[in-house]
Amino acid sequence: MARAMSSLVAAMAIAALCASPALAQRRTADGHPDLSGVWAGREEAVKALAPGQSTRILFPVRTNPDDKRIFDEMDRAAKERQAAEPNKPPYKPELAGKVQLLSDKRQFNDPAFYCKPLGVPRLGPPSQIVQTPGLVVLLYQGRNTFRTIPTDGRAHNAEADWTWNGDSVGRWEGDTLVIDTAKLVEDSWLGADGWFHSNKMHVVERLSRKGDALTWAATVEDPVVFTKAWEMTPRNLKLNPNPKALLEEDPPCLEQDGPHIVTDDHH
Amino acid sequence: MKYILWTGAMAVALSGAAAPALAHHSLQSEYDINQSITLKGTVTKVDWVNPHVYVYLDVKDDKGAVTKWAVTTLPPGNLRRGGLTRDLLGYGETVSILAFRARDGANLAFLRTITFADGHKLEIWLGDASKENP
Repeated sequence: MARAMSSLVAAMAIAALCASPALAQRRTADGHPDLSGVWAGREEAVKALAPGQSTRILFPVRTNPDDKRIFDEMDRAAKERQAAEPNKPPYKPELAGKVQLLSDKRQFNDPAFYCKPLGVPRLGPPSQIVQTPGLVVLLYQGRNTFRTIPTDGRAHNAEADWTWNGDSVGRWEGDTLVIDTAKLVEDSWLGADGWFHSNKMHVVERLSRKGDALTWAATVEDPVVFTKAWEMTPRNLKLNPNPKALLEEDPPCLEQDGPHIVTDDHH
Repeated sequence: MKYILWTGAMAVALSGAAAPALAHHSLQSEYDINQSITLKGTVTKVDWVNPHVYVYLDVKDDKGAVTKWAVTTLPPGNLRRGGLTRDLLGYGETVSILAFRARDGANLAFLRTITFADGHKLEIWLGDASKENP
């Protein structure tokens, strides 16, 4: 009995130690937290169906699959989600009408609908991080996107052109990787709700790791369109538990629907 | 006949990613659910692309005249998570497709079910199976 108790106590102590974020933190040789890993996907690869096997794949819409109102229900649910979004960018009051108009006509205006890049910060957190001394590589499975973030102390590239993902430099603030991005083209949106911006936008992303959890946060400044900085809703990711996990190539984007859209219905 | 149910909600839970949009636009704005159509023909091409996979079909009428149709469905990621690959979508085979026509009258429709010559079916659609009528 005593032996069983001592084993139990030892097991609990080990569990408590493993649960400690400080001990769980993996670090690189230069002492920074190691953010490397695949922060997306599933542990096991999807098993393909056998030839000749029937299947049913239902995209979730909260109604009977035979409901004739199912397309309407999709739009209604999406609009509800958007209306309930508590964290909208702080646009200047005089721009509210423009945002609404772009939102109402998003099917024709949202650059992401038409296969343009999402751009920073709409890209959100990376799917994989490869961290080396002086350089952090961010990989995004969606649209096969990459970003290279120098962390060797250099300043922004004064010669850089404006691009969808901008010019980024990184630095460590304690255990947080801070990525500062400027020179972002005004062609991208911040979200599908007509959230446009100017080319004076400046984005600061923060990545921090606690054990197998990664938190991504972003602050967006745009003095042309916002009344104050916008703190995007942080996103929390879980490390893919399969050490051999690989990102998959995203198929190309080929928009073919635009010419066939005949109503203003949207979600 | 074995059916596998996969939902986007499960995919999101497992991937830890933000919910992917099904349609990058409203299906209502492009397709008419009251105009269902059954197309019988040969699959001439499968376009495994974002934001929607396309299946192209040559449909012959009684006199042998061929009409070309395009049938679109969910994004490739949704199909992959459901165990489908592009080679399972019937390239070169004769199939029967249940779909809903585009509102603009083009030979374009949104897929619900592909039935193959051997009787097996791929239903790629929307909804909540728990709300189906018994």
